[in-house]
Amino acid sequence: MGIARPWWRLVAPALSLVFVGVSSMAVADDAPVLRVLSWGGAYERAQREAWFDPFTEATGVEVRVDEYSGGVDVLREVADRGQPPWDLIDFTMSDAMAACDQGLLERLSPAILEAAPDGTPPRRDFLDGALGDCAIAHTVFATVVAYDRTAFPGRRPTSIDALFDTERFPGERALQRSPSANLEWALLSYNVPRQELYGLLSTERGLRLALRRLDSLGDSIRWWEEAETPARLLADGEVVMASGYNGRFFDMMANEGAPIEILWDAQIREFETWAVPRGARNPGLAREFIGFATATERLVAFARHLPYGPARRSGAEQVTTHEPSGIDMRLHVPSHPFNAERAVRKDEAWYASVHDRINERFMAWLEQRDSQ
Amino acid sequence: MENPDQPFGQGRAGAVLLLLLLVLLGAAVGVIAALLGLGFVSLIRWLNDLLAISPRARMLFQPGEWLPAVTIAVPAIGGLVVGLLHLWIPGGRPHTPADVIAAVQTRRGRLPARAGVLTACSSLVSLGSGASVGQYGPLVHIGATLGSLVARALRAGRSADNIAIAAGVAAVIATAFNAPLAGIVFAHEVVLRHYALRAFAPVAAAGIVGHVLADVVFDRDALFHVAETGVPQVWEFGAFLLIGALGALVAGAYMHAILGVGRISERLPVPAPLQPAIAGALLGLTALWVPDILGIGEETLRLATIDGAFGPWELALVLVLKLMATALCLGMGFSGGVFSPALVVGTLFGALCGTVIGGLTDAQGATLAVYAVCGMVAVTAPVIGAPLTSLLIVFELTGNYVLAMAALASIALANPVGAQMFGRSLFDIQLKQSGLDLSSGRSRAMLEGMRVLPYLSRACVRLRPEISLREAVTTMSHADHGEAYLVDDHQRYRGTVTLARLAAAAEDGAAAESAVDYVDPGRPVLPQTASVWEAMGELQHFAGEAIAVVEDRRSQRFLGVIYESALTRAYLDKTEELRREEYGSG
Repeated sequence: MGIARPWWRLVAPALSLVFVGVSSMAVADDAPVLRVLSWGGAYERAQREAWFDPFTEATGVEVRVDEYSGGVDVLREVADRGQPPWDLIDFTMSDAMAACDQGLLERLSPAILEAAPDGTPPRRDFLDGALGDCAIAHTVFATVVAYDRTAFPGRRPTSIDALFDTERFPGERALQRSPSANLEWALLSYNVPRQELYGLLSTERGLRLALRRLDSLGDSIRWWEEAETPARLLADGEVVMASGYNGRFFDMMANEGAPIEILWDAQIREFETWAVPRGARNPGLAREFIGFATATERLVAFARHLPYGPARRSGAEQVTTHEPSGIDMRLHVPSHPFNAERAVRKDEAWYASVHDRINERFMAWLEQRDSQ
Repeated sequence: MENPDQPFGQGRAGAVLLLLLLVLLGAAVGVIAALLGLGFVSLIRWLNDLLAISPRARMLFQPGEWLPAVTIAVPAIGGLVVGLLHLWIPGGRPHTPADVIAAVQTRRGRLPARAGVLTACSSLVSLGSGASVGQYGPLVHIGATLGSLVARALRAGRSADNIAIAAGVAAVIATAFNAPLAGIVFAHEVVLRHYALRAFAPVAAAGIVGHVLADVVFDRDALFHVAETGVPQVWEFGAFLLIGALGALVAGAYMHAILGVGRISERLPVPAPLQPAIAGALLGLTALWVPDILGIGEETLRLATIDGAFGPWELALVLVLKLMATALCLGMGFSGGVFSPALVVGTLFGALCGTVIGGLTDAQGATLAVYAVCGMVAVTAPVIGAPLTSLLIVFELTGNYVLAMAALASIALANPVGAQMFGRSLFDIQLKQSGLDLSSGRSRAMLEGMRVLPYLSRACVRLRPEISLREAVTTMSHADHGEAYLVDDHQRYRGTVTLARLAAAAEDGAAAESAVDYVDPGRPVLPQTASVWEAMGELQHFAGEAIAVVEDRRSQRFLGVIYESALTRAYLDKTEELRREEYGSG
């Protein structure tokens, strides 16, 4: 693929495979275990509360979770070696589509899903675009820019332009070491209409403009790779703004009282999905779990821990409060009308198809930038 | 439906009822036209995605190594399909807004359904396969044809037919741009060319219906967006005026390039059905290096408004290539409009001016979008002959008053300069070349469109050329005619003689001489193909009863005469017809 990746990213899948192999040897053969690859941190804690533990309680099946930072590479590399060590992967929709196109995933039928409480069939109850060929969406999350409320006395960023305005909003910004979201925001800062975003990013000129805007940040960028990092950097005061997943920032605000505010302008919404790797050890069990965990009540339960909106219409209406703190979660989910007004719907098909090329281009830009 | 050209009902109540019926007609046409317009635009987008024309589709195309071949093959095959489709259209060419204008302005009306459907199909293939043509021209023609069809189905008269055509046009423009005011004004400014109250209500109803369907029911985005811009300095308005004048020259180059390639294509030793395929292949080949010239060019339009997206030389190169690509496609037979490519050419031109001025002065990069929009209207308004529409499109799509004022500064000079140097619009130039001159107003155009043949009279005195003056005077006196027409044994017209002149010559002792020696030398003669306007022009130069009409000037075969009274009656009838359409209450 020619993607420049640091050496530890290359060996990580192999190491995790060894780890999973060793850990699975410790499990008795007849004890059913569901092995899941997910994102760790606050997100995994919420999953355990809302989905994994209730599933174990209902079926007696233990759920074991490995952590990763997204992307298809981790699955591609283990698939080359034989049977994947996971039965289920928590993918972003664009990654799931890319993996599906590469034949790395089992196909999933909506028949495994439960109807809504009022009997509405899944096909009608799930949001448009939530049911992929190889992936079933469970939640809607957003990649957002958040900022330190105390960093700009007398001023508040109100639009995505603020991310690139180091004069009015000085200080370091933590951005994901990935083209995703950064390119969109960079182009949006030129006042490009949202609906033209991916058409323009498909042109050499549009891509050049976006990278030029990122260039303008100079030394103000601090790159992050682990999903937990940006919220931590903000809370510790190491950066004044950070990109990240809205749930992580919320967790830091609600559970640790960090002075973090989310800038909802240009939030990039995407589905988070369940997918079953081709050749998984327990595909039937994985499908059973997907049916269980995507039931309306389970999705609503998840939204009591992290503000990720249910991917079902019947669930969206039932979001209530944050379980530990009592905060009204409806104001913090990406789909709330106040938050969704200027949202960008991520073009998952675009990313699924061009991710490698765009990533290559982004990394080349990074190298060139670092060498200057 | 009652014929609106005929008296309807009694007094005001009848007139109000008729107006309500016309509004209903406009709304009905608006609904169907708007739905067709939305479908047409959606199909173009779908085809562009399917055939790897849109940048996004090109980016996603797999396998990537096939993309260059597909880039050349798709427009070429599209061109071949278009060329074959045109064989089925009477006249062998796609219809355009010029045909709509001609139908309305001459009150010939009745746009043919077959040509309309086939033109829509060939435009869809042209636009879908990436030809550098516009979509608004076909949309206008679809709306107009539909309006004409509905009016015909309701057995409406010519005035109502014209109003229905204008309603269809207003609806599709309102739908496509999400700009109802622009749609309504375009229908009046370009198609009807009058602002009769009787036409305004139905056209407005159609525009509103189009807007409601696009904006409320289907929640469609406008096809063209202009984002927030910087505020120009006062002195920059002088630059916008200058852009207007220079933009008119670019518009002239654009129009004449299209017409020029059309003329060249007629002389090419290549069958007409194959010409669009050649144009398509050339377009695809060029697009391998400059993909900006493919298709409608929405992305190019957007990028041209962003400071730094293009260098000055790039702007100039893409501008010239887009202009040439459009001339090549339209001139060699692709079906489509001229507005969308003119938007791109104009925007690139404006951005080029903004870049140059920005390099020489302290103008901010943020106002580049203002320059781009000024260039856009400076080129498009003269091309379509619609300054008000162009201004309203900018205002409705941006809601930005400053931008609208800057655009107005450019339009103020663009249209007058363009009209003086080239003509009112590309449509008018095309119509003039096909024999319909609208530059002197509608009544002249209508009289030019009327042939003399229907007014031909055979009730006249025919004499043999060799007849003696005595016999001629006797025959004419008995027939109670002051003029006679000499026609030989081969039915050839030999001249006109007047009773007064023959009688005077006979008095002077020439009674035995032949009448042919005494023909009136200043008498005009008209071929049967002559127009009523031409005949009226001839009437100014002599005092007489009638003008002789022959089959053609070469054979001189005598057919009959046109009496001055018949021409006067024709003129008055047409003038009254126009008066009723433009000022009548019903």
